[in-house]
Amino acid sequence: MKISRLLLAVIVIGIFYSFFKIFFGIILKQPIPGSLFTMYMFFIIIGVLLVFSFTEQGAKELMSPIKDLLENPEKMMMRNVVFGIVTIFAGFITYQQVKPSFEAPLELRTIHPAPPSNISAYNKSYNLLTLENPFMKYKKEDPEKFKQLIYEGGEVYFKNCFYCHGDKLDGKGHYAHGFNPLPANFMDVGTIAQLQESYLFWRIATGGPGLPKEAAPWLSSMPVWQNFLSEEEIWKVILFLYDYTGYVPRSWEKH
Amino acid sequence: MKIKNSILVVLAILMVSSTAMAAQGDKENGKKIYEKRCVWCHSKDGTGNGPAAPFLNPPPRDFTSGMYKFKTTQFDEILPNDENIFRMIADGMPDSSMPGWKDILKEKEMWDLVAFIKTFAGLEGKPKKQIDFSKQVKSSKESIERGKKLFIDRCSECHGEEGRGDGGKKLKDDWEARTWPRNLSKPWSFRVNNDPKEIFARITAGIAGTQMPSFADPASKKKLSDEERWDVANYAASLADASKTIKEGSTVVKAKRVSGSLPEKADDPKWQEAEPTNFYLIPQIIAKERFFTPSNNSIRARAFYNDKEIAILLEWDDRTKSIPGDEKAAEVSLDGQVFEDGAAMQFPVTIPEEMEKPYFGMGDAAKPVNMWYWKSGTKDAPQAVKLLNATGFDKKEERNAAKAGLKAEGVYNKGTWRVVMKRPITTSEKDKDIQFVEGKFIPLAFAVWDGTNSEKGSKHTMTTWYWLFLKPEAGVYVYAMPVIVALLVLGGCILTARNSQKKG
Ligand code: HEC
Ligand code: HEC
Repeated sequence: MKISRLLLAVIVIGIFYSFFKIFFGIILKQPIPGSLFTMYMFFIIIGVLLVFSFTEQGAKELMSPIKDLLENPEKMMMRNVVFGIVTIFAGFITYQQVKPSFEAPLELRTIHPAPPSNISAYNKSYNLLTLENPFMKYKKEDPEKFKQLIYEGGEVYFKNCFYCHGDKLDGKGHYAHGFNPLPANFMDVGTIAQLQESYLFWRIATGGPGLPKEAAPWLSSMPVWQNFLSEEEIWKVILFLYDYTGYVPRSWEKH
Repeated sequence: MKIKNSILVVLAILMVSSTAMAAQGDKENGKKIYEKRCVWCHSKDGTGNGPAAPFLNPPPRDFTSGMYKFKTTQFDEILPNDENIFRMIADGMPDSSMPGWKDILKEKEMWDLVAFIKTFAGLEGKPKKQIDFSKQVKSSKESIERGKKLFIDRCSECHGEEGRGDGGKKLKDDWEARTWPRNLSKPWSFRVNNDPKEIFARITAGIAGTQMPSFADPASKKKLSDEERWDVANYAASLADASKTIKEGSTVVKAKRVSGSLPEKADDPKWQEAEPTNFYLIPQIIAKERFFTPSNNSIRARAFYNDKEIAILLEWDDRTKSIPGDEKAAEVSLDGQVFEDGAAMQFPVTIPEEMEKPYFGMGDAAKPVNMWYWKSGTKDAPQAVKLLNATGFDKKEERNAAKAGLKAEGVYNKGTWRVVMKRPITTSEKDKDIQFVEGKFIPLAFAVWDGTNSEKGSKHTMTTWYWLFLKPEAGVYVYAMPVIVALLVLGGCILTARNSQKKG
């Protein structure tokens, strides 16, 4: 059976459509935003129609079922039905466009903004490029002491952090659902596994208000921990985070 | 038939093997997991005094007591079923800090934990006296009706007349920690769930370690028969209030436009016409002084507006009406101290044009916020509302609420506060007060104080930024436009067809 050229064009467009929906929406779980999607589809439809009507013959073939529908006296009934559907569809699309939308605005923010090279905390200035965890050295020098430091870091975590970041460090603490943006999930490969200890020190010591503008500091409920914890406590809790999750901090050498 | 049989066989094997796992739980391995994951709350020695414990209510279970709250064995049987312990570990206990572990631990590992934590109290052997679920009375109008009477008689002294936990009794657990009777209208806050079968188990066995008694104990004057316990369980389950469900992603309070006057009173039935939105309340654990042991967990808001005014109704369940100076209020408070209940709403002084808002915690130097702060009053002073402007946690300035036209009135009824706050849409001090605008998303945050739970000042529950939206009435064009476009398209179609036919 010969498929008409028009049907073929429609099928090709359909394939593009479902590819976008399935690949980005379901597989990557990052659906393309509505307006962008409309634009993509617009170009794809134009493109496909161009290709299909490239030759005179092709264009004629493409149009022939439409021409037939419009002209053939035997298809009167069919014609009325198609016109009806097109009319209702146009009305519906217009309604969708003009009806007031009560959806809250999307707030896009950078989750791990680039760190500044210098930060100030504890009335001091730190250079994040050279800042290191002073306790890391015990990992080799004194494993017993290192273990103890990790435990103390755990105590800091379970007195201060787990309400939000979770007992399992999965960002699902008892109160996590009350916050927007949600607390960071340390088990996720996209958080501490990608970051350096100095970065964590910055994020912990200066909290939400210490974020640069692109990360929406006015939304983040991360407390300013220099008001509650000592420097040592922050370094210990960082040890704990890596120990519990089994991740290793990024370091400069690896770059 | 064959398929059915083999499914049965597989099921049987699964059942046998899971009980086998239960019996064989490896204590040594359980200990290892416990020391990595559970000690932080339950502590190494199992007493429940881990580093996190002082910040938690309910406190972590003391395993040395051998008491388990949520079991399906009889009230006079000390042993729980292994499955009861397993279930709490696997599923966790909602609205407490005990998480479910099944997403990171294997089934075998959780049975190992069961075997290990039983050793803290030397629990051994199989429990003998099981709860008998076989005489279940199906939920029906009649059963619920009968259950209601029993509930008022047996349960309301703690759980309140309508189950919102507002019986007004001071309750403690065996370790002297404050316990709040469950608010039965919020099934999402149950440690287990509100299936009548579960509730039946709770009232049959009691909740060990708390003052919630067994209603199957023949020695008790309050004993209920099997059938009566099913009736009361059916009634308790029917108290679930779907209008308090917090919908994920529902972040907007949609104010409805009305032409006439706005409802003055909090209990005006007209409020039913405004769409409610529910939000979680979380304790203020962000800035000094932090607060860790809240008693309130959600708030509901709805709003109306007209040309001149906006009125917002806040409703939240609070088990206690806290009026300082009132003797009854002092009785319920843990240390005899009572502060006022309160509720506040926060708005930016200037509605942001772009994404940037004031800091959610009482604004910042560049972007101040308005706060409407209602307080429940004391024995000597009536309830009142304050108007505050703030540029940070400790940078508040009190302004004249009456001058801005801000009014508030609250009523407390059977465990629920309802407070209406009202203000003109615009005020004379445009640089200091938010000027409401139709059709814009306006940031809005909430805070609530329960004065009987030592909440005062920075110690309270709260939300971060959500939205208020003054919903414009749909103009005629919303309906006219689609019709016009549709007619044009139809006209176009017919014309094209005509032309084409002429040519062809
Ligand atoms: C962040 C703190 C925390 C951690 C970590 C934690 N628990 Fe709990 N657990 C609690 C709290 C709080 C309760 C009491 C809840 C209540 O009474 O409503 C509890 C209760 C329990 C109960 C009692 C159930 C009952 O019916 O009485 C068991 C069993 C339990 N936890 C096991 C564990 C195990 C096993 C682990 C480690 C895998 C663990 N918990 C880790 C906080 C925690
Ligand atoms: C003496 C006070 C008291 C009485 C009487 C009482 N309860 Fe309770 N109830 C409590 C307390 C306290 C809790 C919370 C226990 C905890 O989780 O620590 C509770 C919890 C519950 C729960 C929650 C279970 C869960 O999964 O979270 C249910 C259901 C319940 N009670 C039903 C009833 C019913 C039905 C009655 C009457 C037959 C009743 N209670 C009588 C004090 C009481």
